[in-house]
Amino acid sequence: MATDTQFGSASEDAIVSAGDEGPRERLLLWIDDHLKWLLTLPAVLVLFSLTFVPLLRALEISLHNYIPTGRRFVGIGNYVDLLSNGDFHTSLWVTFKFVVAAVGVEFLLGFAIALLLNKKIKLRGLWQTLILIPMILSPTVIGLIWRLLYAPSGLLDFIIGQPLLGQNVGWISEPQFALISVILTDIWQWTPLVVLVMFAGLQSVPDHIREAAIMDGASRRQRFLHITLPYLKSLIVLVLIIRVVDALRVFAKVYILTRGGPGSSTNVISMQMYRVAFRFSNYGEAAAMAVSLLVVVLILAMSFVKIAGVEF
Amino acid sequence: MATEQDTAQPYGEQSDLEQLYERLVETGLAKLAVYAGLGVFLVWTLFPVYWLVTATLKTRETLLSFPPQWIPFDAQLGNFAALFAQRPEFFQFILNSVIVTIVTTIIATSIGAAAAYGFVAFDFPYNLDFHLPFYILSTRFMPPIVTIIPLFVIYRSFGLVNTLPGLILTYVMFNIPFAVWMMKGFFEEVPRSIVESAMIDGHTHVGAFVKIVLPLVKPGLIASAIFTIIITWNELLFAIILSQNASAMTIPVGLASFITKYSVQWVNMSVAGTIALVPVLVFAFVAREQLVSGFSMGAVQK
Repeated sequence: MATDTQFGSASEDAIVSAGDEGPRERLLLWIDDHLKWLLTLPAVLVLFSLTFVPLLRALEISLHNYIPTGRRFVGIGNYVDLLSNGDFHTSLWVTFKFVVAAVGVEFLLGFAIALLLNKKIKLRGLWQTLILIPMILSPTVIGLIWRLLYAPSGLLDFIIGQPLLGQNVGWISEPQFALISVILTDIWQWTPLVVLVMFAGLQSVPDHIREAAIMDGASRRQRFLHITLPYLKSLIVLVLIIRVVDALRVFAKVYILTRGGPGSSTNVISMQMYRVAFRFSNYGEAAAMAVSLLVVVLILAMSFVKIAGVEF
Repeated sequence: MATEQDTAQPYGEQSDLEQLYERLVETGLAKLAVYAGLGVFLVWTLFPVYWLVTATLKTRETLLSFPPQWIPFDAQLGNFAALFAQRPEFFQFILNSVIVTIVTTIIATSIGAAAAYGFVAFDFPYNLDFHLPFYILSTRFMPPIVTIIPLFVIYRSFGLVNTLPGLILTYVMFNIPFAVWMMKGFFEEVPRSIVESAMIDGHTHVGAFVKIVLPLVKPGLIASAIFTIIITWNELLFAIILSQNASAMTIPVGLASFITKYSVQWVNMSVAGTIALVPVLVFAFVAREQLVSGFSMGAVQK
């Protein structure tokens, strides 16, 4: 019976009948013979030429010094210079503070909210859809929204600045607040991601494990510490890796909110790279920073996986 | 009710806190607290967006008035026309964004879907049908700032800086990994027997792919396309560096330059920001289910 079924009877023109071997049919047969490469090579080639090739160029550029009239090979000179470059060190420290504070709060807050969402509640789907919104907005729009909130006499001054401190706070114009404000914006944007991922994880904890623990008389806290947490371990590592790697390369938010200032108080590493490359045209030094950043990202990702003993 | 099981523990050792919690559950107060917590988080998440959108209806004075104007009762509908009158170049930004987004979406989704099908339907030598998709996905982890300096240098020598094709090429690369990953999942759901019987009926493999498989994965194609549209429409970093004059600027760059040049023109900025935001919200609403599972389930499966 099954072989009698007519599939796609409406597509006569794609049917090649035996013995009718015109150039069109030969072409179709040739395409079929090489189909797997025809389908997959474009993607592989585009990605290869736009990721691997630039990566090699970045390595090469990092070994040169760029001057208006051309460039000069300096070996690892740019890397050696980085070791004693104060601006670079400051940007590393700023990035470190940003990543630890932002990802830390995002994870704890997001996990807590996911636990709440995991209770039997109504309109859960709608709630999940609505909290997606910050994640899909353009960094420019996010920067604009928060500039509006941080503006002198803006909403945050009305809620926090005036009642608590009796004055307007220079949220993004004073060095001691600027980084906190950038971090707050990142928390606003990315906590929902942690919520969605951790909630999906909580939902995947098999019922029979929970029920067995309840039968054994495990308390809520015991169940959380000894069943839920170990079960979610690899997911926790994964979400932390995703967020840390993403936070390490933060650029657009800082660019719109503070341009790295005031002074160097929010000058994260990508901002420093941007300044060096596109304001001072020092491509060699910027490329050396970029390569170093990539190495750091790789080491971090691998050690996270090692520490947690997670297998992908 | 799970709570009945929970309270009926024969020999569970409970701390005072946990007993208190059980009491709260019985009285329904815990439930109230859960809703309150989720409600506060929702307001914190959505209010800033509300604040931007309503700013488009305010005047310069009411926008930063003290105390704030929570609801814009005297809506200033003329603000939208005023933006285009005062900053006509914004038309160009919108046009550029639309062109770049449409072309990128068509190319990236096609290339991504084709590759995904190739990896699902065929066996490759040296286990390449496993290694190549893995390589494609891993490119997503590379910090864009690492590739941007060499790309800028390469583009400059090909004359691609300040052109729309240069931007499109970059965004195609950006979006292929996700399209491949997403479409792979959809193609794996299509039974091989469907393709095989179509080929027995005399279809070429290409014919079977285009006429029979593709219509089956239409929801996946739409979802990949919407993801690509959102990412491309929003992108700022590459756009800043690869389009430095107004003729090739997309909305995010144009708006970013407004923000830094005319940062006190809050009303104009808000109108421009809302124009940038609305298409994203519309597309996200259409693909809301795929977005939620794309952001969450995808991580769980990995």
